[in-house]
Amino acid sequence: MIFASPWVLFALAALPVLWWLLRVTPPSPRIERFPAIRLLHGLIAQAETPARTPWWLLLLRCVAAGLVIIGLARPVIDAGGSVPGAGALLLVVDDGWAAARDWGRRMVAGGAVLDRAERAGRLVVLLSTAPSEGGVAPRASAALPVADARPLLDALRPKPWAVDRVAAMAAAAQSGAGGVVAISDGVTQGEGWARYAETLAGLGPVEELRGDDVPARLLLPPRPEADRLIVRLLQTPQPLDGEAAVRAVSADGRTLARLVLPVPAGASAAEGAMTLPPELRNRLARLVLDGPPTAGGVVLLDERWRRRPVGLLAGDATTAATPLTGQLFYLRRALEPFTELREGDLAALLAREISVMVLADRPVPEGPERDMLAAWVDKGGLLIRFAGPLTAEHPDTLVPVKVLEGDRQLGGTMSWSKPAGLAAFTAGSPFQGLAVPEEVRITRQVLAAPGRHLTDATWARLEDGTPLVTQAPRGAGRVVLFHVTANADWSDLPLSGLFVDLLRRLVDLANGVSGAEEGGVERLAPVETLDGFGVPGAPGAAAVAMTAKDLALASASPRTPPGIYGPETSRRVLNLANRMDPPEVAPAIPGATQAPVGGIPPERALAPWLLAVALALLACDLLISLRLRGLLRVALLALAVLPAPGFAQTPQLASEDNPARATRLAYMTTGNGAVDDILRAGLVGLSDYVNRRTAAALAEPAAVVPGVDDLSVYPMIYWVVMPDSDSLPGEAVTALNQYMANGGILLIDTRNGGSGEGFAAGAETALERAARGLAVPVLAELTQAHVLARSFYLLNEFPGRFAGDQVWVQRDQDRSNDSVSPVIIGGHDWASAWAVDAQGRNPYATIPGGARQRVLAYRFGVNLVMYALTGNYKGDQVHIPALLERLGQ
Amino acid sequence: MSIAARRAEALGARLPPLLVAAERVAATVAQGVHGRRRVGQGDSFWQFRPFLPGDATNRIDWRQSARSDRAFVRETEWEAAQTVALWRDGGETMRWKKAGPVEKADRAELLLLALAALLLRGGERVRLIGAEGRPVSGLDRLADLLGRLPEGNGVPPEAPLPRHAQAVLIGDFLTPLDIIQAAIGRMAAIPVRGHLLQVLDPAEALLPYEGRVRFEGMRREAGTLISRVEGVRAEYAVRLAAQQDGLLAICRAAGWGFSMHRTDHSAEAALLGLYTALAPQLGRK
Repeated sequence: MIFASPWVLFALAALPVLWWLLRVTPPSPRIERFPAIRLLHGLIAQAETPARTPWWLLLLRCVAAGLVIIGLARPVIDAGGSVPGAGALLLVVDDGWAAARDWGRRMVAGGAVLDRAERAGRLVVLLSTAPSEGGVAPRASAALPVADARPLLDALRPKPWAVDRVAAMAAAAQSGAGGVVAISDGVTQGEGWARYAETLAGLGPVEELRGDDVPARLLLPPRPEADRLIVRLLQTPQPLDGEAAVRAVSADGRTLARLVLPVPAGASAAEGAMTLPPELRNRLARLVLDGPPTAGGVVLLDERWRRRPVGLLAGDATTAATPLTGQLFYLRRALEPFTELREGDLAALLAREISVMVLADRPVPEGPERDMLAAWVDKGGLLIRFAGPLTAEHPDTLVPVKVLEGDRQLGGTMSWSKPAGLAAFTAGSPFQGLAVPEEVRITRQVLAAPGRHLTDATWARLEDGTPLVTQAPRGAGRVVLFHVTANADWSDLPLSGLFVDLLRRLVDLANGVSGAEEGGVERLAPVETLDGFGVPGAPGAAAVAMTAKDLALASASPRTPPGIYGPETSRRVLNLANRMDPPEVAPAIPGATQAPVGGIPPERALAPWLLAVALALLACDLLISLRLRGLLRVALLALAVLPAPGFAQTPQLASEDNPARATRLAYMTTGNGAVDDILRAGLVGLSDYVNRRTAAALAEPAAVVPGVDDLSVYPMIYWVVMPDSDSLPGEAVTALNQYMANGGILLIDTRNGGSGEGFAAGAETALERAARGLAVPVLAELTQAHVLARSFYLLNEFPGRFAGDQVWVQRDQDRSNDSVSPVIIGGHDWASAWAVDAQGRNPYATIPGGARQRVLAYRFGVNLVMYALTGNYKGDQVHIPALLERLGQ
Repeated sequence: MSIAARRAEALGARLPPLLVAAERVAATVAQGVHGRRRVGQGDSFWQFRPFLPGDATNRIDWRQSARSDRAFVRETEWEAAQTVALWRDGGETMRWKKAGPVEKADRAELLLLALAALLLRGGERVRLIGAEGRPVSGLDRLADLLGRLPEGNGVPPEAPLPRHAQAVLIGDFLTPLDIIQAAIGRMAAIPVRGHLLQVLDPAEALLPYEGRVRFEGMRREAGTLISRVEGVRAEYAVRLAAQQDGLLAICRAAGWGFSMHRTDHSAEAALLGLYTALAPQLGRK
């Protein structure tokens, strides 16, 4: 372990001082509330020594302080040794395909090298040996401080192509470095390694980090065989037996098959056969090597591997596709599910790669067509021919056996013989094992000329031994002849399931079309390319389009990254292993010190951990201190309460003062303390009166500010408009409008009506000003007929402190709110009439006066409350005269 | 019925109904169980006397009159009840507990209600000092009033009390003695006699704190920092004893009783103490 800033450790010397300081400072006192404090005043402690901080708390604090000091000194464990040489350090990182197998380890190792260089104060020259995605040859960076080199190193990614040792050698030679650390992939391909190693050794002391414990593996494109794929693998030899698993993956990423290849110790290649049913094989998109993802472990497959295209050709093209009778009808139905079918004239079919040709009663006379077809068969094509009237008349030579002219008819009106069935398939025939159905009958066929090889050439025969299917190899290919037609004219064979099985087995025999290349001239653009880890992605900037022919000859490079090229219909792939030199183990750089790439544990800084522990200790100290002072509970409570406002949008009411828990009247604060007091006293008096006289139970009235308080819990709000009232703020208007719209009652009092005229001069204009924006409905005078005059007491007048003025209510009935008027406007100063002081007296005299007016004022108040609480419940009383009259009739 | 009232009734149920020692009940005319040995308002029979002209005819006891030729009037004994005024300190200092099981105010209310239950069973009239209105006759109403009682400042408020009533004051009485003396003296001048019960939390009685403690008052008094509470414990005990001696002296001077109670002691003991202090046969002559 070393310290990056050792001088900070001198601060440790101050710890005893800290101990002493903490010890002489008395602890913060606990805080206690105490009722009998009067008896404690002036008491002086008898004991001389004040309470001391407990020793263990002191120790805790000193340990925390010590940890902070040590943490700030930045201790580092697992710090590696020095870096080789002097002057700038050349860090060579191989970032070709072979480095992807343990790239994470390599980056960690590179980071460790930079850490060491940083501590040694060395400048670093970074050199990556593979060409960049942009196609730029390897170039050494300038000599950089480590802090600048680190992002460059972090930005490196393995490339899906090989390293360029020659260019790297040139770059290294010009770097002017005095020491080399090479993080080598340990693989050499082709020439160049020896000179490259010499160049590095010539720069100064060399340290070489290699990761030979993980083999560099390169999956080669598989070799297709008739019914299987031969999977091939190259790798750097390993001292122990091992195995490699190859997965066959479909285009949608599902694994179709998995093949385990044993790799013996010391072997550099492995091979195995992967058998896939034709359906699965057609869906095969890539082979992937299990293990660390690398571009070398991915082989993309295009249709050259997957498909065996079958060309169909009929003698009579016009009727060939006729349902049930056409020559090609049954062939199509049988082949479609598992092959790719192509149709067209012979030249067009042969122009593209094709692996099977089926000629249904199509004579091939001598001429260029025959030559073309024969050449194709010689190159490996499988030609399947069906007999028929045309071929029976004009036998040609492109047949496995010599065929007699004319045909033989079995059964029929003019014949004694009966239609013949099939014999069981003999050993040596590819059809062996297929069940022969009873119902298949052959009525006509062409006959093979007897010969020496006829028995060997026959794959299927009739019960009487007559050959039905004959074949003969020709060049690399094969010609197969069915002696019957491909439709049901001559036999029941196309109607049976056996027909499908026969064709499938035949097609399985055919070669894939991998070998030969199409000579298209159109340029295929890269569609999807692999990165160094074998993950498909968008093509790099330097990738270029090229013809299929060039693609076949190309090897992976920035211009031609491995991937998929060309449009959907004619996909071509370029694999990493294409035309690549086989990888070999690179010999060690002469004179270099060797180290495994994963062998050096990365150095770890302890400072963050030490500081974290110190913080934890200090947090403990805080809790202990709070507990010693008796404040822990308070602090926890505060902690629990603190985040609450963040969650709750509306302030949470304590349950006891929640206005929703009791019915209460409300008044709007006017800002004038005296008026507010009157309002409060008035509503208290009214609430008491209502509680005494009625079943309603009203709680203490509340003062509200519209727009701030929630108005919805109050049945009625008393609003006094004074001559100096300002217009309401916008949110208050909104709140009041909403309150009135939802059934609340706003009682507006100008305190200057009737006998009180002149008490509050100018209140009308103030009302106009203040109520601007309020949704006040059309008003009418409050009469005896209104519910408000009957909701509890029967009233003829509605006095308050003053009497004689009109009171205004909504004119129209609004059914939505129970016909309750949302606003009641008057000037009788009811609050003063209702007001009761602490002695239970009414402090405000009524004008003109009399106990009767006071009682009527209270009664109007009761009616108001009842109206607010019950709505038009008493509304039918208004109609009693009419009802009685109606009953009387 | 509130829970407090229930608990108080349960507490008082073990004692017989309490008849307050009534020295002079002439002042009150309310009916009660203190017989006046004279004719007057009451339930129990006193005597029959001949009907005299001027008596209301509906007062004639016809059953008795039928036995002879003369009409008789049934007279009852004049019974009168004693009024007991109760008060408990509901202030901030009472809403506090440290070492005791309950807050002092809770214990004070429990005792007050239990005492009231006993008094009501004895037919006495109970009222609360500081509450409006007339004496109450139901424990529920009393508990209700108790909840609305103003908090006060450590001594009972000035309130009109009937003469020769009895008063029971429950509180911690930690306020300066002159204030308490003034309050007691005011009541004694009516004249009202009574009893004073000091309820303390064990922490107030013993000062069990240790180390460096900053004490803060509950009535906006200035705080005080004591560096070692252990060191002042003895002196505190002396001061507390002085306060209690002062209270005893004030009560003696006014002819009142004084007792102390700690919330960690049983409420029954305190209730029994109050019972003996108020009951005629066991208390003062």
